Amino acid sequence: MRSRDRARNWALGIWSAAALLYLFIPVFLIVVFSFNDNKGRFNFTWQGFTLSHWKHPFVDSDLSEALKNSLEIAVIVTVISVLLGTFLAMALTRYRFRGQGAAGVFVFLPMATPEVVMGASLLAMFLVVGINTGFWTIVIAHVMFTLSYVVVTVRARLEGMDPHIEEAAQDLGAGVWTTFARVTLPMIAPGVAAAAVLAAAISIDDYVVTSFNAGQTQTFPLFIFGSTRQGVPPEVNVLGTMLLLGVLLLMALNVIVQRALARRDRIVDDDVTAAPPAAPAERAAPVPA
Amino acid sequence: MTAVAEPSGAPRRRSGGISLANRRRLLPWIFALPGLLWLILFFAIPLVNQANVSLQTGDPEAGYNFTWAFSTYWDALRDYHTQFLRSLLYAGVATVIDLIIAFPLAYFMAYKAGRWKNFMLLLVVLPFFMSYVLRTVSWQLILADNGWVVSRLRDVGLVSEHGRVLATGTAVIAGIAYNFLPFMVLPLYVSLERIDRRFVEAATDLYASRMTAFRKVTLPLAIPGIFAGSLLCFIPACGDYVNAALLGTPQQYMIGNVVQSKFLDVLDYPTAAALSFILMTVILIGILLYSRLLGTRNLTEVAA
Amino acid sequence: MADELDPEQLDHAFREIFGDKRLSRRRFLGRSATAAFAAGGLASVLSACGIAGTAARNLRVLQAEAENVHHPRTAIGDWTFANWPLYIDKKVIREFNARFGGHCKYIEEINDNNEFYGKVRQQLAQGVFIGRDIVVLTDYMAGRWVRYGYVTPIDKRNVPNMRNLVPNLRSIGYDPRRQFTLPYQSGAIGLGYDIKQTGVEIRSVRDLFDPRWKGRVTMFTEPYDSAGTVLLGEGIDASRATLDQQLSAIEKIGKAASAGQFRRFTGNDYTTDLTKGNVAIALSYSGDLVQLQSDNPNLRFSYPEEGAMLFTDNMMMPSHVEHPYAAETMMNYLYDPQVAAVVCDWVNYISPVDGIKPILERMDPDVAHNDLIFPPDSVRKKLYPYPSFSTRQEQQMYEAMAKVTGA
Repeated sequence: MRSRDRARNWALGIWSAAALLYLFIPVFLIVVFSFNDNKGRFNFTWQGFTLSHWKHPFVDSDLSEALKNSLEIAVIVTVISVLLGTFLAMALTRYRFRGQGAAGVFVFLPMATPEVVMGASLLAMFLVVGINTGFWTIVIAHVMFTLSYVVVTVRARLEGMDPHIEEAAQDLGAGVWTTFARVTLPMIAPGVAAAAVLAAAISIDDYVVTSFNAGQTQTFPLFIFGSTRQGVPPEVNVLGTMLLLGVLLLMALNVIVQRALARRDRIVDDDVTAAPPAAPAERAAPVPA
Repeated sequence: MTAVAEPSGAPRRRSGGISLANRRRLLPWIFALPGLLWLILFFAIPLVNQANVSLQTGDPEAGYNFTWAFSTYWDALRDYHTQFLRSLLYAGVATVIDLIIAFPLAYFMAYKAGRWKNFMLLLVVLPFFMSYVLRTVSWQLILADNGWVVSRLRDVGLVSEHGRVLATGTAVIAGIAYNFLPFMVLPLYVSLERIDRRFVEAATDLYASRMTAFRKVTLPLAIPGIFAGSLLCFIPACGDYVNAALLGTPQQYMIGNVVQSKFLDVLDYPTAAALSFILMTVILIGILLYSRLLGTRNLTEVAA
Repeated sequence: MADELDPEQLDHAFREIFGDKRLSRRRFLGRSATAAFAAGGLASVLSACGIAGTAARNLRVLQAEAENVHHPRTAIGDWTFANWPLYIDKKVIREFNARFGGHCKYIEEINDNNEFYGKVRQQLAQGVFIGRDIVVLTDYMAGRWVRYGYVTPIDKRNVPNMRNLVPNLRSIGYDPRRQFTLPYQSGAIGLGYDIKQTGVEIRSVRDLFDPRWKGRVTMFTEPYDSAGTVLLGEGIDASRATLDQQLSAIEKIGKAASAGQFRRFTGNDYTTDLTKGNVAIALSYSGDLVQLQSDNPNLRFSYPEEGAMLFTDNMMMPSHVEHPYAAETMMNYLYDPQVAAVVCDWVNYISPVDGIKPILERMDPDVAHNDLIFPPDSVRKKLYPYPSFSTRQEQQMYEAMAKVTGA
């Protein structure tokens, strides 16, 4: 039994590694080609190794500006979208109210609409109402279509979760917000985290809806798509790699900090249990160590 | 006991505030309203305008008039049913592929990754930070007809002697599957991670094999995740146009390409709008059928 | 200024939708659905009104305006220049700012003519300034804007360097006296091919249809490019083509496509296929081939012997422009041969400014002697600009092409 388990674990591990590798194959290529010494403006064939693109990645201020905009937008959109989406998901899953079914289906619609139509019609509305397109209209548009993804992801977590736990908390006197903060939120935290990550990724990569509603603001995907006509400069690869490394670094820091915190908690616990050694030993029955 | 059952109802009513019962009823609305309002304002209203446009006739020079032109819908369906069916097919196949690839990965992340859970979560989504244009061009380079990968595939026999991978339906489906894989992994992970391991332990304690425990305990409880993941993959994939445009030929063009062309090139706004609505309707029907199939609603009650 | 929106029409529309009566709260709530529909309807009315209204400000009115245009000298100030990405050496902008003052906001937001038009058309239709003082659009789109009156005439007194415009571009169908548009860069659509695959030089449009290369040819999705080239191959002057001729060319392409002659139809992305050897021949843009040759030295470009389509991206000032003097100063600056030489050296397309070749011979002889950037006279004689069509004709053309390309 145990060796079969181990074999199964190994198989799972290898499959997961393979799947992740598959996801990263184009990424590796992009990273590698950031070192390409391309003589022309296109970056398709390996022509030699160079660090020159890495030495001056920010030389095109418009590209850096575009990346900065994309990052700022992604952060703002993620916060708003996760807030609105989590609460909406809770309302749809936990409670019964009139129009719930319709609302549940309505939430799927933005995903189902072709981006061209969605982007253009949103732009039409902005123009009629008189809102100038730019940074904030991009944010509005992004929140609009990431909401669906957030709701669906959080619902996947909420559905089938035992609602009695929350009822129990409330029966014990916890108010609505206390219940939410200390009972519900920790339980759905992985769902919310996944939804946040998804929303950020969708926002940072969106092209069509953004192109209609961006006004004169440039974002990373807009710049890249536009530069395909003349050849995407390797500085784009460099910035993309930097972005990747930055995010990985943050994550690694997170893991280290968590591990440090966990170790600190363990040390504290050890001290606490070590303090009065005699007393528990007298009372307790012999427990195997 | 009675004091606990009505903790703050009575005093509140006396002071003229909202009663607990009313608060309980309003709560879902308070939760739902901000999100719903956002969607109504920035999605529904523009969409109503599009519905309006879809029933108009005219052209950019002479202007449009609202004429209840339902024939636009019929003509659109008649002219482009091939692309519709093809979109559904491609999106469906890609979703199934993604489910197969994603499930073991999500399982591993939920149960075996331990401290590295969040890290892996991020890894799954990280390629998105590199722009789909770059990713697709990279695939075009990797899968070049005479490149290393395709040559090896020819050696192995997966590709015929004069065959190719790019500019085929396979490439388009592979592209769609690639781009939407994270959308499948995340909800699956989220719902698998929630499953209490003790259920599985209980099953094995009752002499079920690991396989049976998986089949009868884990899998059914993962259904919300499978449902969510499939939808997050399938729905946007139906309207995708990039993969067909860059990795396919006219024989692979999907309904997204048609809408794109009608809207930007031909300037036939009514047909573009009509096509969008037909697509949305088809997808909605699909969702309803799928949820019936998986019996998601029942599952909520069972688990509780 | 002519009114794009007929105020009477608008008034009538308002009254129809919202009614003269006071709305009671209950009736308002009950009518919420209608209101939503009406709001949508109003938007459509506005846009529809706008589209209908533009035809009123037609070419003749515009030309009359052009006779009397006067853009007095002002401070340059903050103004906006919208262009395609990677289409200028940024130091030109910096030097312009240094020399003339003000601040030019240069945004590389034009990725596709149709897409850009889709983005700004409602504002143009409503007669609102679109926030860009110069836009750079390809011939057929420039022609559409001129036809609709979406442009501001150029005060030629502010652009004396216009005399440096190459002779073959001094006039064009949609702007015979260059009153509204000024070429920015040109490029030719020719035959890019991999000599290692073809073994022979490819010189003719006929080669695109040669069954020897079946399945290893790509064409453009853009009908102006593809159909135009095909017409030239049949000896027809593509710049004067009628809609029927275009449609028959598209039909010919369609037949060949069904027979499997073309691997696929591309936009700018033919470059990967050609570089990686997926195709033997690709209909290509001259400027790209200059760059691709460093990725794949086997790539060659030839101007078809029957003639090549010449596309030109043109600078224009949209209607209701806010900084015309600044825009015209930039146009003038870009037509200074010294500056034009710098731009050409960077962009590597065909410059519309005469007399820059000697400058480049000193600055960058490789560029000066590159046939793709300075086509020899024998080729220049056979470069044909795009034909002009009305929007309805264009729609038919795009519809026909969409059927061929499967969209």
